[in-house]
Amino acid sequence: MALSDMSVKQIQAGLINKEFSAAEVAKQSLARISAADKSVHAFLEVTEEAALKAAENVDAALAAGTFSKLGPLAGVPVAFKDNMNMTGTHTTCSSHMLENYVSPYTATCVDRILQAGGIPLGKLNMDEFAFGSSTETSAFGRTYNPWDLERVPGGSSGGSAAAVAAGLATVTLGSDTGGSIRQPGSFCGVVAVKPTYGVVSRYGVVAFGSSLDQVGPFARSVEDAALAMNALAGHDEKDCTSQPVSADFTANLAEGVSGMRIGVVPSFMEAEGLDAEVREKVEEAIEHLKKLGAEIVEVELPNAQAAMSAYYVLGPCEAFSNLARFDSVRYGYCPEGFKDLGSQCEAARAGGFGLEARRRIMLGSYLLSSGVYDKYYYPAQQVRTLITQDYVNAYEKVGCIIAPVSPRTAFKFGEIADPTSMYLSDMFTISINIAGNGGMSFPVGLGAQSGLPVGVQLISPAFKDENMFKVAAALETVYGAAPVAPAFSDGKAGE
Amino acid sequence: MTQHLTEKEVRSIAEYARIGLTDEEVSSMTVDLNNIIESLKPITEYNLEGVEPTFHPIGGLVNVSHEDVVKEGFSQETALQNAPKQQEGSFLIPSILGGGDQ
Repeated sequence: MALSDMSVKQIQAGLINKEFSAAEVAKQSLARISAADKSVHAFLEVTEEAALKAAENVDAALAAGTFSKLGPLAGVPVAFKDNMNMTGTHTTCSSHMLENYVSPYTATCVDRILQAGGIPLGKLNMDEFAFGSSTETSAFGRTYNPWDLERVPGGSSGGSAAAVAAGLATVTLGSDTGGSIRQPGSFCGVVAVKPTYGVVSRYGVVAFGSSLDQVGPFARSVEDAALAMNALAGHDEKDCTSQPVSADFTANLAEGVSGMRIGVVPSFMEAEGLDAEVREKVEEAIEHLKKLGAEIVEVELPNAQAAMSAYYVLGPCEAFSNLARFDSVRYGYCPEGFKDLGSQCEAARAGGFGLEARRRIMLGSYLLSSGVYDKYYYPAQQVRTLITQDYVNAYEKVGCIIAPVSPRTAFKFGEIADPTSMYLSDMFTISINIAGNGGMSFPVGLGAQSGLPVGVQLISPAFKDENMFKVAAALETVYGAAPVAPAFSDGKAGE
Repeated sequence: MTQHLTEKEVRSIAEYARIGLTDEEVSSMTVDLNNIIESLKPITEYNLEGVEPTFHPIGGLVNVSHEDVVKEGFSQETALQNAPKQQEGSFLIPSILGGGDQ
């Protein structure tokens, strides 16, 4: 089996059995990126030196017989979304604004993956500042979906999903504000986890919507994602929203769903705009869960329909505040030749931010202005209360909810040009960020019409993320772990 | 469709948000923002009487203080490493009061 198809445990077994060294894992992975990322363009920067250094530490531990003392990702090729700081790397957020920025520190999530023994391969493409659902807004070019190079990988964490789907990394990290982990996970056919808000520290991750953002892993199996979660989760004194979570996410993967009550939301399944092939795959997964002994229960989320409009109020308002820091003074793009700070700042933000970023900043500025605030922002926060309460009510009846991730499979480049249509990509994922619950995309094979990957969304009560992992593991016994996309499996480079 | 924003208002928002826009960008931005604001309509039509707002998904957050112990932080050099312009260990900016010739 090619290294690029292997799971975490398979790589670690290979290391322990001396089939290959960690240095070979690093070198092979770097060579594979040189060959195969020409067609995917998931990576914005490759961190060769850091990869070889991390591999050296793993090999030293293997030689000293202390490998078992390394963390859960020891010797595993990993990579990070480019909104995550890692000392000495560029952290561009796929924006000209930060094109020349070099991180002077490391984000907690990155640090924890490195502490867990991961071999860092580099930084991954994304929608600019995470504004988008296709990675088309990146200032540094598109990422191509490994399942069909004419299609988008989804977004905003498109590079993170595509890298795992093409076997360019075993585990990657992304961030999710309205669906930015789960939707690309669905489009690229990989396991993609947005933990409950507060499970993973956001320190060092460039902020978009601070009451919504959460970091999580991409992987090709539920166990690999759970191992990454074990490294990531828990309190960090540098992010006061991070909570003391000590769950072992691998603990109940083999438990099965027999007797478990799992919710289905009729208004989601009947939603206008949901493609038939996606609905069919979700229904099929529900049937499998029934056969595995789960009890399927209908639950209502009557206010979830307001989540879209609430999100496109809250997200831009928070983005407007967070992106105020780009002032042309401390870091970021700064044009030459201005004699006063105001004009310099205006020109820097005009030239540094792409169109979608400017749109969201402008929208947030408007929505927070006097008089308008009461019409949109305050009601959106009231709607948040209703949506959260809907989920609390639903979880009195069930331990997990199953739903679509995206209304459709991956679309072609340029196919969705209108911003309000693009926003509908997140119609099933957004309410989870609004309520702060955990959600993940699990790949359930290919759609009957498009032949492209479809994910089902599993949604957990807040801080009960292990529930969705258990359901995903049960589905994996039926569907198997996610394969590397055919053109990239067995070490192929997609040409 | 309701015109929520005029081009003149879009110009003043851009000024407030410190984003320079060309005349052409002002027109297309006005169309885009009006479309997006129109799509937010459901939020204005909800009956929300007596509903408390939730400003943050984790309730009851309190400020966390740490012991007043000196820890190592960025050096001045590191803090300045990404500054577009610097001078004598400080961030260098143009005049903030206009002119800039004094």
